[in-house]
Amino acid sequence: MVRPRGMSPEGVIPASALPKSLLHGLGPCFFAFGDFMKRHDVIHTLLAAFVGLVCATSVQAQSYPTKPIRLIVPFPAGGATDLFARTLSQKLGEKMGTTLVVENRPGAGGTLGSDLAAKASPDGYTLLLSTSSTHSIGPNLNPRMPYDAVKDFTPISQVGNAPSIMLVPNSSPAKTVKEWIDHAKKNPGRLNYASSGNGTIVQLSAELFKAQADVFVVHIPYKGTALAIPDLVSGKVDVLFDSLPTGLPHVRDGRLRALGVTTLKPTALAPGVQPIADVLPGYESNTWFGLFGPKGLPPEVVSRVNMAANQVLQDPEVLDKLQRFGIEPVGGTPAQFTAMLAKESAKWKKIITERKITLE
Amino acid sequence: MELFDNLALGFGVAFTFQNLIYAFIGCLLGTLIGVLPGVGPVATIAMLLPATYALPPVAALIMLAGIYYGAQYGGSTTAILVNLPGEASSVVTMIDGYQMARKGRAGPALAAAGLGSFFAGCVGTLILAAFAGPLTEVAFKFGPAEYFSLMILGLIGAVVLASGSLIKAVGMIVLGLLMGLIGTDVNSGVARFSFDIPELTDGVGFITIAMGVFGYGEIISNLSKPEEDREVFTAKVTGLMPNAEDFKNMIPAVLRGTALGSALGILPGGGALLAAFAAYTIEKKTKLRPGEVPFGQGNIRGVASPESANNSASQTSFIPLLTLGIPPNAVMALMVGAMTIHNIQPGPQVMTSNPELFWGLIASMWIGNAMLIILNLPLIGIWIKLLTVPYRWLFPAIVLFCAIGVYSTNNNTWDIWMVAMFGVIGYTFIKLGMEPAPLLLGFILGPMMEENLRRAMLLSRGDWSVFVTRPLSAGLLAAALLLLVIVALPSIKSKREEAFVEE
Repeated sequence: MVRPRGMSPEGVIPASALPKSLLHGLGPCFFAFGDFMKRHDVIHTLLAAFVGLVCATSVQAQSYPTKPIRLIVPFPAGGATDLFARTLSQKLGEKMGTTLVVENRPGAGGTLGSDLAAKASPDGYTLLLSTSSTHSIGPNLNPRMPYDAVKDFTPISQVGNAPSIMLVPNSSPAKTVKEWIDHAKKNPGRLNYASSGNGTIVQLSAELFKAQADVFVVHIPYKGTALAIPDLVSGKVDVLFDSLPTGLPHVRDGRLRALGVTTLKPTALAPGVQPIADVLPGYESNTWFGLFGPKGLPPEVVSRVNMAANQVLQDPEVLDKLQRFGIEPVGGTPAQFTAMLAKESAKWKKIITERKITLE
Repeated sequence: MELFDNLALGFGVAFTFQNLIYAFIGCLLGTLIGVLPGVGPVATIAMLLPATYALPPVAALIMLAGIYYGAQYGGSTTAILVNLPGEASSVVTMIDGYQMARKGRAGPALAAAGLGSFFAGCVGTLILAAFAGPLTEVAFKFGPAEYFSLMILGLIGAVVLASGSLIKAVGMIVLGLLMGLIGTDVNSGVARFSFDIPELTDGVGFITIAMGVFGYGEIISNLSKPEEDREVFTAKVTGLMPNAEDFKNMIPAVLRGTALGSALGILPGGGALLAAFAAYTIEKKTKLRPGEVPFGQGNIRGVASPESANNSASQTSFIPLLTLGIPPNAVMALMVGAMTIHNIQPGPQVMTSNPELFWGLIASMWIGNAMLIILNLPLIGIWIKLLTVPYRWLFPAIVLFCAIGVYSTNNNTWDIWMVAMFGVIGYTFIKLGMEPAPLLLGFILGPMMEENLRRAMLLSRGDWSVFVTRPLSAGLLAAALLLLVIVALPSIKSKREEAFVEE
């Protein structure tokens, strides 16, 4: 974004000198102005002085961003989060008049990259795109997390939600969730569920299912669901809660059957698949994706990125890509995101404690 | 014939000017980056993946496939010339390839690798085109029990890799198995030997160990010698192309390697690597012709066969990817990501829903292989010139590129420190006369073996008989037993030692 002349940060009252409430109030006022000015180059210099006086907070926000922003993805290149980040970063960059550089910092299940973002300077030039695993599940599972998922971050916006589907081999006698539960009840301890490892959303989805349906199914962990699919197709394992892009093709091809989807309501991403919640009321197990900054991120930066993110999530091109990645777009305010985080964390904490899931 | 219709469709797609250019760019970039030590196909594709986002899907995939093959070719070049494996399967190529380079025969070694790979690539492409559908079913026959038995076979084969003492080879395999234990246990989620260091919960990377032990270890050892004792390659470079005798030795080896590679590549999980190791083992077990150089000292068969196996396997490893959407290795996992972003859902429907893509990709694989051979044969002369670079320039360059390569995989400086540490360990190995190749095999097979053993036991609810009651698994175990007998037979053993003891 062009910065009007005469509006250099040192020339006006620093935003930090103003009361917080004022900053909150002025954020949106500025944005309207920003867009207006961009389109009317001639008058914007005239307006600059006025804006500088009236809308002091705009200075800091207006001067953000002035350089490329790095977007940390705590997972390897080519994965769902990475693909999401690369789609998002391009459009976010266009909206905010800068470049977002995606930086993959994989390791320790996303802990390393998230920690890096937590310890970065809260200037708005380091952001994080992360998921349930680093902020809702991991902290409740791993007693040695290097960061506090609540205190060390500033939530900016939830951006997406990825449901899973409950998959069974064609040889399974069950055609519905209800039948599968009956099947499992008749064969306690004889059925197996595959997962992508201990403490992953795939395992937790199954454990949540077991808890609500009150069945006993043995956990068989794999290094990723892709490796579990051949064993599921050939019936060596009996059920898998997989993400949509990896699971659905096998359903369409007729090798596997989808019994249910993990969203509360039917989703357009998996047309014709009944929510598990229809049988087990309240059953919901999705992976959320969200944008964070380090703790103490200035509110005007938060609202600037939040607003851009919400706009980007309405872009048809982005929506089209998300559809392919099996992700529902979710926008909203930072406050909504924070509330969602608290709810998710509490939910997984309960399941992890009740089902005695540990890394020991 | 449907096959020919399909291939015609594929070549029609691949033979457009634009796609040929992308295939060429991919091959060239792949070769150039693959030649840098430490930057294997995984790092190369991860780095160049974003660059393909803007291209049309077919072009992007053709370019990525080109990068994949190019990086593999480039990787073998580094393995042969500077004894640095860019990826797991070049560990085998290195054993004899580097010895050939030391004897001034780097040219024939590179040509053997290139020609063998090209032939294997052509065969692999044909198999992929003709049998992708039916072969898919093979992957379903392989459950945890079968994989475990296959790993056992592979580990026993690893013993044969060693050219020196048997005890030392077994020791190195066990050490490799132990190193493979570092990291998070798949079954319980416990971080083993991580000492509360988060980086160690992912285990130690293969590239890290390979770069440290082979690259840095060798450099330390070289620098510890007075300058006049250091090896000079340049004085004795003879011939760029293999001679008639070389071809006579090479051809059967290439055929065996290709057959083995095509078969093992179909299995998701380590197929290409096992193929290279198995091909080498078979070559080593076949009788030497009179006057042939022993294995471990620069036998051209020891380069040609594993390289062919590796390349035909990387071709057939597209079968589980394209038909099932199951990536057989890290590179293929990246390709899945690339396909997704280009609006292609890898999996059973690719063949029917995107036939032009499926067959175009297959045709471009063949074109890519052909381009690589055209690109690489003239380059051999240039690569050999690399060896004339004085050591005082070459070693800092290797140190630097290894560091860059290792950093690029995870963007974490921790890995560079680990390479340095493994450099010291590698130096110790050299001093003790221990060969690192069996260590690397143990390191890779160990965790896979444990994982599959425990998974098989979980599924059988603790019943060990599953390994012998399943026919495929029982067959593999019988083969392993046979191999063990061959290794242990005293007559063979004594002959083995007299032939392969280090000078």
